[in-house]
Amino acid sequence: MNKRSKFKSENSKASSPQQDDSFTIEIGTNLDKNLTSLKTMLGEPTDLIIREITIGPNQEKIAMIYMSGMTDNQLVHNNILKTVLSSQPQADADLLDYFYQEIIAIADITKTNSLDDVSYAILSGDTAIYVDGTNTVLLMGTAGGEDRAVEEPQSERLIRGPRAGFIENIGTNLSLIRQDIKDPNLRFKTHEIGRRSKQKLVVSYIEGIIHPDLVDEINRRLASIDTDYAVSSGEVEQWIQDSFLSPFPQLVDTERPDRAVEALLKGKVVILVDGTPFVLITPVTLTETFHSLEDDNQRWIVGTSLRFLRYLSAFIAIFLPSLYIAIVSYHPEMLPAKLVFSIAAAREGVPFPAFVEALMMAITFEILHEAGVRLPKIIGATIGIVGGLVIGESAVSAGIVSPIMVIITALTAIASFTAPHYSMAISLRLLRFTFMIAAAFLGLYGIILVYIMVNIHIVNLKSVGIPYSVPFAPVIGKDWKDMIIRAPLMMLMKRPAYLNTKDDTAAKKRRQSK
Amino acid sequence: MNLNNRYRYETIEERDILIAVPSLVIAIGILYMPRSLADTTIGLDAIYPLLFGGGITVLFIWLVGRIASRFPEQSFLTYASKLTTKPIAIAISFLFALHGILITSFELRGIAEISHLYLFEQTPIEIIGLTFLLVVVYAVSGSRAAIFRLNALFLPIIMVAVLFLLLFSFGFTRYDNSIPIFQTDLQGYWMATHRSILSVSGFGVFGYLLFYISLVRSPKQAPKKAVFGMIWVVVLHLMIVVITVLVFGNITTENLTFPVIELARTIEVPGGFFNRFASLFFIIWTMAIFNTCAMAFDVAVLALQSIFKNIDKKKIVFVLSPIIFFLTGLPKNQDELGMVGRVIGYFGLGLVASVTILFLLLYKIRGVK
Repeated sequence: MNKRSKFKSENSKASSPQQDDSFTIEIGTNLDKNLTSLKTMLGEPTDLIIREITIGPNQEKIAMIYMSGMTDNQLVHNNILKTVLSSQPQADADLLDYFYQEIIAIADITKTNSLDDVSYAILSGDTAIYVDGTNTVLLMGTAGGEDRAVEEPQSERLIRGPRAGFIENIGTNLSLIRQDIKDPNLRFKTHEIGRRSKQKLVVSYIEGIIHPDLVDEINRRLASIDTDYAVSSGEVEQWIQDSFLSPFPQLVDTERPDRAVEALLKGKVVILVDGTPFVLITPVTLTETFHSLEDDNQRWIVGTSLRFLRYLSAFIAIFLPSLYIAIVSYHPEMLPAKLVFSIAAAREGVPFPAFVEALMMAITFEILHEAGVRLPKIIGATIGIVGGLVIGESAVSAGIVSPIMVIITALTAIASFTAPHYSMAISLRLLRFTFMIAAAFLGLYGIILVYIMVNIHIVNLKSVGIPYSVPFAPVIGKDWKDMIIRAPLMMLMKRPAYLNTKDDTAAKKRRQSK
Repeated sequence: MNLNNRYRYETIEERDILIAVPSLVIAIGILYMPRSLADTTIGLDAIYPLLFGGGITVLFIWLVGRIASRFPEQSFLTYASKLTTKPIAIAISFLFALHGILITSFELRGIAEISHLYLFEQTPIEIIGLTFLLVVVYAVSGSRAAIFRLNALFLPIIMVAVLFLLLFSFGFTRYDNSIPIFQTDLQGYWMATHRSILSVSGFGVFGYLLFYISLVRSPKQAPKKAVFGMIWVVVLHLMIVVITVLVFGNITTENLTFPVIELARTIEVPGGFFNRFASLFFIIWTMAIFNTCAMAFDVAVLALQSIFKNIDKKKIVFVLSPIIFFLTGLPKNQDELGMVGRVIGYFGLGLVASVTILFLLLYKIRGVK
């Protein structure tokens, strides 16, 4: 192991010398040489645009460099190119300083001497200006390019709530959060991940609310990521989660800025990754994965009822097929005689034991679901028809499954989709299979054993050091009113106690002066 | 990790003790407790020895809490060595480990027997016991704080099931079952007191607090919490005995193997969805038995861990598991199992009582800190 890592580190040093901080390539004073070295470094890409200009009474040569398609064209043309071309520098002026001070109408402008900085900036969409005779380069923040508009998020819909969703551009996403929280204590700490992709990753939190250890721990974990490219926040999630053996999500993702803002104000950390509209929220507890913003947007009676409906659905999604298997194959006496007879009558002619029947239907459903997700939207409707026929009519009339099994499969499927977080819904569907197998072997006793095992797993599981089973165990009674039910807003003056926030008052009753 | 210490999520807290006591004590014993009490008493007389025995147990758990809370954040072996000598402390730890192992295998056999009786006739007892043991091993291999969290998760469910049971069997009570009053002879009261102490103390498992309370960081309130937990247990016992005897009458209760499960059998859940509450009740009771098993096993591991400091926790668990499973098979039938339970109970009670009194005396005489 040791040997291997040593080899790896030597290898990476050899292949990419720019990794080493102490080793930087200085820029020379000759413009042509500089341009050649830059082109060699980047491999003379076709989308690299170099505009050489001769300017001023001394006919000095300058070069403007950027990547096409990654910049904001308006900005490059109007605020740099036009102004530079129309400028009339004095004969004895330092051209670079003159541009820096007077000509270029862009706020985000820096000077550098290192070729690494220049190449990194150009690759991120900035524009560089080289002036012949100096070894300093001007870098202008012109990053732009094609972006999607802020739209309603596809994966998390609300009936009552803002219609804005995060997009792929991290700058836009940060501004979406900033727009909602104007607190100067809102912090964005930038990390860079991806040895080759050099993506921006931002840890966002509100100083003065959050427990500082939480931020330290997350920064420590993020610093440990060493990968070429983080495809999305999902990959970051897997790098920093507490247990990789768990079926439960220990960080939740969201596409909604309002949800991220709510988490920040509760005293949590939000992690944004460049290139993905899904941001990560952590820490999270099991109960919270069943919360939707809808609960807060509706009046508390509605909100609480919706929450209970979701808990019930989770229960159905996990247990219903296994209960069917257990009761039909081991404990038919548990049900009233009439119900047992109708189940038995419906199952008459079904050639398989209940477990095989349930397993077949469950797997069929999973296949249909997976196909429905992958297919283009236009063909998606076909899946609905085929699925309806396969699951419903034909299977029953062919005598392969009983009508009751169809009801159970359908109900389970629908129930599993009430979980507001898709990652949680998948876990529920996975767990269902474990329970089904247990029920097939040991009936109700098997179900309770697996239930105990899942509980053991949950109490041992943590989300960034915070027990997943809070507020049930350890018992934090104060948090019950916003974790289990959704109490009236006047009762929710405090932030969640389990997060140990520094400022625990979220709201106050204002005294009316009379 | 630094974060855990700050949040105090990896230590056992005072509030955990309150939940731990009922979780520890409530297990198999309570399911047949009404039989053993009705056996030696007449009518509803069982409640007096139960109250008396419960009082003694509460007193003892207070003493246990008092002595253990004097040594915060120290292991049992450490403070026992300070009070006595190291060899004696090691011997006592061994005895507690032995008790933990015996209790685990007793409960394991018990649950296998009851599942065999009420859930499936054909599945072999060994399989039922083995699967349960594997789940317990999984829990014990995890963190200690997690076991206490499990208590907090399961206890409310168990309590709801009991309340449900008592509430719905209320309609079946017949008051003439309570008479005659005060007809039991002294011998009967004496026996019943013995048995109620056995049941209320959970065959001596309440003494495990000697190990757990000293792990609490600031256990000032811990003795009080332990007492409250014990009172809770006594009240639960009282309610169950009263309802069982009122429903079945003294003579019937005496002859039912598991009167509490039979009670669950008699009631009807409105709505007509569940025909047999008994199966459901027993399934929920599995969690109670699991809690006791996990903690008893954990105490055995904890005791051995403090003696053999260099051995990994998981190794101890994996060595103990086959031993426990082997012991599970020893009793030949249910009568023998009941007798074994009593022997383990007296062993545990004697151990806890003598250790507690000895420690208290030594503490007063020597005044060690």
